[in-house]
Amino acid sequence: MAILFIVLTVILGFYMAWNIGANDVANSMADAVGSGSCTIRQAVIAAGVCEFAGAVLVGAHVTDTVRKGIVEPNALASLPHMTEAQGAALLVIGMLSALLAAAMWLHIATFLGMPVSTTHSIVGAVAGFGVVAAGWSAVHWDKMGQIVLSWFISPILGGIMSFFLFKLISGIILGSDRPTRAATRYAPYLFFFTGLVVVLSIVFKGLNHLIAEDRLFWMTNSISFAIAVLLGIFMAIFSRLYLSKKLSLFFRVPLSEQLEKVERVFAPLVFITSCTVAFAHGANDVANAVGPLAAVAEILRSGNVYMKVHVPMWVLILGGCGIVTGLAMYGYRVMTTVGTKITVITPSRGLAADISAMTVVLICSRLKLPISTTHTLVGAILGVGFARGLGAVNKQVTRNIFGSWFITVPAAALLAILLFLAGRIFLMDQIADVIQSQALTG
Amino acid sequence: MSLLTKLFGASPFGPLLEHAQKVHSCVKLVIPIMEALRKEDYKEVRRLQDQVSKLEFEADEIKHNIRDNLSRRYLLPVSREDLDIYLHQQDSIADAVQDFAVISIIRRTRIHPELGENFLAFVAHIVSVGDTLLGAAEEMVNLAETSFKGAEARKVLSLIAGLGEQEWKADRMQRQLSIQIYEREKELDPITILFYEKILGALSEIANFAENTGDVLRRMIVKGR
Repeated sequence: MAILFIVLTVILGFYMAWNIGANDVANSMADAVGSGSCTIRQAVIAAGVCEFAGAVLVGAHVTDTVRKGIVEPNALASLPHMTEAQGAALLVIGMLSALLAAAMWLHIATFLGMPVSTTHSIVGAVAGFGVVAAGWSAVHWDKMGQIVLSWFISPILGGIMSFFLFKLISGIILGSDRPTRAATRYAPYLFFFTGLVVVLSIVFKGLNHLIAEDRLFWMTNSISFAIAVLLGIFMAIFSRLYLSKKLSLFFRVPLSEQLEKVERVFAPLVFITSCTVAFAHGANDVANAVGPLAAVAEILRSGNVYMKVHVPMWVLILGGCGIVTGLAMYGYRVMTTVGTKITVITPSRGLAADISAMTVVLICSRLKLPISTTHTLVGAILGVGFARGLGAVNKQVTRNIFGSWFITVPAAALLAILLFLAGRIFLMDQIADVIQSQALTG
Repeated sequence: MSLLTKLFGASPFGPLLEHAQKVHSCVKLVIPIMEALRKEDYKEVRRLQDQVSKLEFEADEIKHNIRDNLSRRYLLPVSREDLDIYLHQQDSIADAVQDFAVISIIRRTRIHPELGENFLAFVAHIVSVGDTLLGAAEEMVNLAETSFKGAEARKVLSLIAGLGEQEWKADRMQRQLSIQIYEREKELDPITILFYEKILGALSEIANFAENTGDVLRRMIVKGR
């Protein structure tokens, strides 16, 4: 019987992940596809690999937050007039409702043509049912406050960082008398930084969720840092060799030709940074699909709500697979649309936006904060625009994006509440029995 | 549907280059018009004026297209007002060419044989001013690339300085031609002299507007420093 509910949650979680793959991933690779640095097929394959890697290697942190960081499990376990098992059942119903509500909202918003954030949806839905299930105190409002704050801060930070990054690129490389020479000399620093951030996000403070704790005892913080620095240097050397090989012939050609060559050579490098954005996206957004699943699985396995174990690996793998499947089946089509319309973002701009977005998203993931990767990327692109890097940005669309925030959270919460109330009436006792028996035998 | 596809609008710098090229194709026609005037081939002058009219109309269409899309945009590397003024000045070049063409057809003005060479030299110079401006306009795309700063901006600034010099030379040529015309005033009837002045006026307007266009471009670059 427990299996039934696990399977149901798995299906819903997979479905959410599928949606994320189908719609969101195109945005991660947008800069690469738009600047023509790879074919759609290459973008899809690379995105699939990187999203999966991000989900599995770094995804546990944010998944943990969605699982137990927003709604306090104990609050449901210790409700008056209810046994612990019934409280646990409520949590299961709630998480299921949240998943279903978020998935429904995704469809409604897409149907209405509104830009929608999967992160905002799931967080709103979880908080929604939490309030109804066990009152205001059931929700960790301090964490919620942090999360909502991060929704505002992440695009702004992405924008600020890309502003300065692009000012740097346009001043030192594009504005120089010899852009080709400047690119060969200075772009490797960008790649050092990129490699550093990606690796740090994986190894810093141990890969405890991936490998059993005692096996990695040698990986102290300083060793982790050293590994990250080493890999950053490796990326820098790679980019330096690549740039030298491609650009050294052009150190003395006329200025406009140099500029053109630099952009042309940056294009494949944008592919790499877009892959890191896809990696960051997988790390942060997989939680939207499997956070609730991780909660339900844990409750039904152990018979209680305390969620002491790490996020199980199979949950992350499932999420990763869902994302990749959605990407392969539908994301293909979305990427084609992206490709034809984003030719205005030249590689140097894409580089600045990607590196900034990736950094902000990975830092927030490690801080266990669920943020919207797409909005951070939009913020980064706008930052480049403010640094006078873009031809034109549609103001109406930017307004729509930020406006949709205010609708998504209430709408998803409302849906979740309705579903939760229905579930409580019909299913609570059945699930409570299941959990009771799990607790006795488990 | 991907959010990012809706985020971007088309950059105005490509169409601005198109406009510059269309205007320049107008400017180049002043040489064949002057030659036809010299040969007194008034049918040819008529035909060329039609061509100028058509090109000027096409330039207007590009201008309207840019203006329509410009209002919905944000976060440009330069201010929208400057781009508007630039476009206006560049379009006025084509208007001045049209003025010259119309002057050529409304009366069968005979070019005095001794003045013919100098008139031709004058129009050739006007066209070279247009060439220089086109060279600067062609750099617009590169300027957008470097955000109107750096080595590219310095290069365009020196191009524009050359433009100022050429316009000054055009003024001088116009003065000298006027002097030569009045040296022969006994041989020429008053209306012919009037039309010579009109022709010189329209031609130097072309150079003036070219210089103004360059000036606005210079302002766009310098403002952002």
